[in-house]
Amino acid sequence: MRTSLIALVLLALAALYPLAFPHLLSIAIFFLILAGWATAWDILGGWTGQTSLGHAAFVGLGSYTLAILANRYGLAPWWGALSGMALAALLAWIWGKLTFKLRGPYFTLSTIAIAEILRLVAIEEKWLTQGAEGVFIFSLEQPFGFDLFDRQVEYYAALLYLVLVLLLVGWLVQGKFGYQMRAVREDEEAAQAAGINPERVKLIAFMLSGALTALGAAIYAVFLSYLEPHDIFFLPLSVQIALTAIIGGRGTLFGPLTGALLLVGAGEVFRNTFAEANLLIYGILIVLVVLFLPRGLIGAWRYRAIRRRYARSAQR
Amino acid sequence: MKRILLLAIAVFCTLAFAQDTIKIGVITSFTGRFAEFGAQHKAGFQVALEEINAAGGINGKPVELVIEDDTSNQQAALAAAEKLLNEGVPIVMGAYSSSITNPLSQYFTRQEAPFLVFTSSADSITNPGSDWVFRINQPASAYAEVLFDVFDDLGNKSPLQTIAVVHGNGTFENAVADAAQQLATERGYDIVEMQSYDKGLTDFRPILNRFKAKSPDIIFMVSYSADAVAIMRQVKETGLSAKVFVGAAAGFALPEFLEGAQDAADYVITATAWTKDVNYAGAETLYQELKAARGKEPSYHAAQAYAGLLTVADALNRASSLSPEDVRQALAATNLSTTYGPIRFEDFAGFRNQNPVKMVAEQVQNGKFTTIFTQDGEVSDILFPAPSWD
Amino acid sequence: MEVFVAFLQNLSGGILIGGVYALVGAGLTLVFGVMRVINFAHGEFLAIGMYLAFIMHSSLGLDPFLAMLLALPFGFLFALGLERLILSHLIDAPEDSTLLATLGLALILSNTLLLLFGAEPKTLYVPYATATLRLGALTLSLPLLLAGGIAILIIIGLSLFLNFTEQGRAIRATSQNRLGAELVGINTRAIHGLVFGIGTVAAMASGFILMPMLFAIPDIGPGFTLKAFVVTVLGGMGNIAGAIGGGLLLGIVEVLGASYLSSGYRDAYGLLAFLLVLLLRPEGLFGRTVQRV
Repeated sequence: MRTSLIALVLLALAALYPLAFPHLLSIAIFFLILAGWATAWDILGGWTGQTSLGHAAFVGLGSYTLAILANRYGLAPWWGALSGMALAALLAWIWGKLTFKLRGPYFTLSTIAIAEILRLVAIEEKWLTQGAEGVFIFSLEQPFGFDLFDRQVEYYAALLYLVLVLLLVGWLVQGKFGYQMRAVREDEEAAQAAGINPERVKLIAFMLSGALTALGAAIYAVFLSYLEPHDIFFLPLSVQIALTAIIGGRGTLFGPLTGALLLVGAGEVFRNTFAEANLLIYGILIVLVVLFLPRGLIGAWRYRAIRRRYARSAQR
Repeated sequence: MKRILLLAIAVFCTLAFAQDTIKIGVITSFTGRFAEFGAQHKAGFQVALEEINAAGGINGKPVELVIEDDTSNQQAALAAAEKLLNEGVPIVMGAYSSSITNPLSQYFTRQEAPFLVFTSSADSITNPGSDWVFRINQPASAYAEVLFDVFDDLGNKSPLQTIAVVHGNGTFENAVADAAQQLATERGYDIVEMQSYDKGLTDFRPILNRFKAKSPDIIFMVSYSADAVAIMRQVKETGLSAKVFVGAAAGFALPEFLEGAQDAADYVITATAWTKDVNYAGAETLYQELKAARGKEPSYHAAQAYAGLLTVADALNRASSLSPEDVRQALAATNLSTTYGPIRFEDFAGFRNQNPVKMVAEQVQNGKFTTIFTQDGEVSDILFPAPSWD
Repeated sequence: MEVFVAFLQNLSGGILIGGVYALVGAGLTLVFGVMRVINFAHGEFLAIGMYLAFIMHSSLGLDPFLAMLLALPFGFLFALGLERLILSHLIDAPEDSTLLATLGLALILSNTLLLLFGAEPKTLYVPYATATLRLGALTLSLPLLLAGGIAILIIIGLSLFLNFTEQGRAIRATSQNRLGAELVGINTRAIHGLVFGIGTVAAMASGFILMPMLFAIPDIGPGFTLKAFVVTVLGGMGNIAGAIGGGLLLGIVEVLGASYLSSGYRDAYGLLAFLLVLLLRPEGLFGRTVQRV
């Protein structure tokens, strides 16, 4: 109950942010999108326990689909975004079908390989993506008269996206499917013995994760207005998304969001003093988290809070 | 204590605002992958700023640069752009990498704020471009153009027909390779091989062996500096001989190329945006000043930053006011002579607000760069054809 | 005939490059085989090797192959320190942890290199940089030949060490069954340190060997880490001798693909082979079909 109240207050603050800081929207938009991506990643990575380091492929798919459909066929961006999501789900399904028999780190390695191959495809197949020349998004249909290139509109779109992802994940993990995901994460064989189909669970998780990532990517595409394969299908971006979720706390609702806040915030703080520190921070933090806070920040906090509650109730 | 601090800050702020300077926004990379180029830019700005303020600034007011570091990163650049517009600068200049400049140009176009590009070379920045984006430096296709001018010139001495192209798969390299393809068709050359490679590649031998089988007249390479060294070494090693070797990118024009490739670099012709041997007044002086400001060998990026700032100052001087539209109009009417070259903004061949200045071609002769070809034609003897490796 | 000679030329190029890939992969496969650690920072150690080669060449004028012999002991100690500091705490943690820890290490190392040296590529010039050896109608690059040759020698040395020395036997015991090894009195913690040291040193050696032909930039690491993974999977995780086969295969696949298909997709050929082996024969092409429990 208390978390919901805090969440509502934060949401209200977030909704008012553009009015208070109308000229600090770019960084906020990126934070919202990254938080959404990290939470989406977490569906597969935290709740189902399969670490993917290839999610940039979904970013690429989502953003390029919107751009290409808008440019070549004049398709409205919401259809473009939905198409991107559908394609992402399809990719996730094929990809998962092929690789989910691989356990743990082997799966992770395969995600890197597949994302890299897709990057090369995006560069080489110029007839589709215009290759390294890149794709501009010049004009888009305006829903209800909103100019999608206005930073304020993009901010609210991104905020809506994050809220949507959080609501979806929150609802998902409370239900039967959430239980199945956790079972698969903890012990696949035992889950199977309990009558759960691990492959099916992993596939659905992967499809959801990919589709939601693609949705955020559609917003990102409009934000940048220019896409280039090297920067979008970018391995370091995959790593950034995964580490954001892990540092914040895998398998928690607000963990990835916290991770994004911490890392984007730290990046901004250091930008004017010690910019190379940006990625260095990711590295140091992940090593510290792995060694001392394996559940991530929010995970560790929750763990202690729960233990305290049990201790208190046991003392009565 | 806190109150005194706040008061002091308030006074300081009012003082700062009261100071009458003309602010110009700059976005470039001081940290991250592109840090070296940001440093070159800084040297160029320094030299130009001294010149401008010594001459009285803009309409009597001194010029102040508001510099933002994009940390070689797109999102940071966009955040920086937002910040600069919020501070009310009448114009912004930037950046180094085309992957950063492209989103920036989109943003400034939408915000209807003038944006001057002085280094990024992707054709797409001004083709199609917009009313608000102006570029003083040559686009990527200009690299190919000057080299084909050289081919035409050399072709008078000994016929040149076939070309083999190897290029990195980045934006810039692709743009130059595409331009080469187009020019080859237009001017009657045959491209017998067009091979690309992914960054990080070190082994060009398969590609070079492929070229060897076709015995082309011209080997056309588009690579960044580290690859350039590796390619030339392997060209020598595989014994790939040809009449002309051209390196159509910055990598081949840097001192590191000579150090790394040593004697394999001889005879290579390369295109560059500016050298101290160009025919514009004051080139040698500018070179010395840039070298002093940079503390080491300056690259053409420094000269571009220098020219860019001069252009902006000139436009602001002529503008009837500092409103975006007035600044834009003043920019569009630019007709300036600088040591970098003439600065005008024209629309041609799909380009918009692009300065039609040409590139310069150099050749490595006896381990040193010699300017051989400018828009005036051949200015020095070209060593041709390149001897076979055996 | 021309076509055949060209094919042999390409093949030989692939074999030589494959030798180097084998060395890059051998270190990783050893570390994985014994410690079950997927070392994401493997390529960064290679990068460190390259930068060390550069520094020692530009300040002391040392030939990289010579410099390598001097620098490796320090590399070993450095790796030992890292293992003690970070990895030893994660022995019993879930498999993901070591992957993430080494990932973080990779970020730290590559960004430190960026801070120290900047992003501009560093090359060094040795007098034999473009020398070649003529073998009939084939032209072989001397530096590449040296690199491949030394790489194979190092791997053979490593193999001999593992199979014919007491320490080597202790290592193999630890890789087969850590608990069992402990029970017979092997200090597995020390073994882990030793193995990580050897693996890292192999990566650094590759860096020294490659420097004459390449250039050093701070983010050259991940590309080589990926290559090392491919070699490891192709050869079989933990299989040093298999790394030779895996490396050669990767080199040949890459070069032939680049020569006869499209060179833009060069890396994709290796990655596809990697995926196929991972999916169809995960114990590697040269491994025995034994299920690890």
